[in-house]
Amino acid sequence: MSENNEHHSAGTLQLVSRSTYMKENLLKAVFFMCAFVFVLAVALIFIFVGWKAMPIVTEYGLGKFITGTVWSSSTGQFGILPLIVGSFIVTLGALALGTPLAVGTAVFLSDVASPKVRSFVRPAVELLAGVPSVVYGFFGIILLRAIVAEFSGTLGFGAFTAWIVLAIMIVPTIAVLSEDALRSIPEGIREASYAMGATQWQTIYKVVVPAAKIGIIDAIILGMGRAIGESMAVLMVVGNAPVFPAGIFAPLSTMTTQIVMDMPYAVGLHRTALFAMAAMLFIFSMFLVATVRLLSRLRD
Amino acid sequence: MMGGCTRSQGRTDQITVSGSTTILPIAEQAAELFSEKNPTASVLVSGLGSSAGIEAVSAGTAQIGTSSRDLKEEEMPLGLFDTPIAYDGIAVIVSPENPVSDLTVEQLQNVFAGVITNWSELGGEDRRIELVNRDEASGTREAFKKIVMGDVPFDPRAAVLPGTGQVRDVVARAPGAVGYISLGFVEPRFTNVTVKALQVDGVTPSEKTVGDQTYPIGRRLHFLTKGKPSGLAKAYIDFVLSDTIQQGVVVDAGFIPVAEGGAQ
Repeated sequence: MSENNEHHSAGTLQLVSRSTYMKENLLKAVFFMCAFVFVLAVALIFIFVGWKAMPIVTEYGLGKFITGTVWSSSTGQFGILPLIVGSFIVTLGALALGTPLAVGTAVFLSDVASPKVRSFVRPAVELLAGVPSVVYGFFGIILLRAIVAEFSGTLGFGAFTAWIVLAIMIVPTIAVLSEDALRSIPEGIREASYAMGATQWQTIYKVVVPAAKIGIIDAIILGMGRAIGESMAVLMVVGNAPVFPAGIFAPLSTMTTQIVMDMPYAVGLHRTALFAMAAMLFIFSMFLVATVRLLSRLRD
Repeated sequence: MMGGCTRSQGRTDQITVSGSTTILPIAEQAAELFSEKNPTASVLVSGLGSSAGIEAVSAGTAQIGTSSRDLKEEEMPLGLFDTPIAYDGIAVIVSPENPVSDLTVEQLQNVFAGVITNWSELGGEDRRIELVNRDEASGTREAFKKIVMGDVPFDPRAAVLPGTGQVRDVVARAPGAVGYISLGFVEPRFTNVTVKALQVDGVTPSEKTVGDQTYPIGRRLHFLTKGKPSGLAKAYIDFVLSDTIQQGVVVDAGFIPVAEGGAQ
């Protein structure tokens, strides 16, 4: 490093540094533009969605929109409570199924697996995280739905099928991020635990996982964000009935799936209602991101 | 735009066909084939919905209006000439394992409204009825609603599937399921999965019973012209009624060809 610096100051310092200076500034401007364009895009989307959704507040009534229990475009009723409930049933169930599996995978990768085993399990998990959601949906509707239909004696559409499909989708996300959190726990902490006479299981259970707790919760919230926003895979297996479901094997609908179903033909207030639902999803995900930021601050 | 201008040079004639989205695939493909045969003619096709088509042809903005419903009372005085170009029948389908084989329109209405919820109420096994509905953008749903449901709303608890193929596939494998699809899709085409089409009011759905309108859940697809069709409009309508289109495009689109000499 110091040798390099001397080199600079030795002869061509000014020429090099001027072009370097310009390059630096140019790059700074480029990076600023990138960030600016992106932030602008997000802001514009938010403004556009909010603007398009406005008539729901002014013409329909926000209270009626959020607490209404009937979603029926042909009668002009746009109550999204069943859809909000549907979104949460589907998301929370998937988290309940997926989180233990994901955290287990993360612990296995960070503390149990030999480097050799890890070297092929981790890429496999990462690969799963990158599979397009429509592939999971296709798998869900062709294979999973038929199996669920067989043993439940129903059509196989409903929360249960969606839970399994979504759990498979979010496990890689949660597992990879949780593993990063677990690996960031200094080795010294593990060694201290072993030195106290703790077994490997005790060390994992009492020391490592609690120490990485906030990072793991971060991971779960990001998984939740993916689950609540997922539309394609869910659309194919929930059955799309905008009602409070009669059970875990009964058709239901979520906010995202209803938007996808109605989008092609919605006009007027109906379309407005879809935009308002999009705005709700925006607010939900902002809330999730805020929670993650808050938790990270807590960790520091 | 420029390309369109130069290409239309030397074209002597142009007609506009507008209306039903159900008929759109037939009208469009027929227009393409028609233009191949008659390079000087141009047929513009658009799908705006049946009512818009009737409106357009009576206002003169289209030479042919297409409609998937019959003319209403108040549309009769418009002086529109009706040429049926195909029939569409909707079959109510169940799993082949289901012993129920005949329902009345009224029973169907109660089933799809969620009033009757068990097959035993219809003379079948003691099994819950699993409703399969189509999405609201579907023309089949629209027709089924009009003919069977009337003003009675569909049961919102029904599964809503976005395609005929999916409805067929799901119903075929679920012993308690009931759904409806265009008659043309009942027979297996690309699959060996079979479904059973129910008789309605004692009539088996078939090309014949839909054609002579004894099967209740059917509709005609209409081409409407102001007065008897003439000129290019007549040539195009005759082409749509020819075997090329009737046995090809119409059948492929899942509809039933009009009987020979269907033009009135």
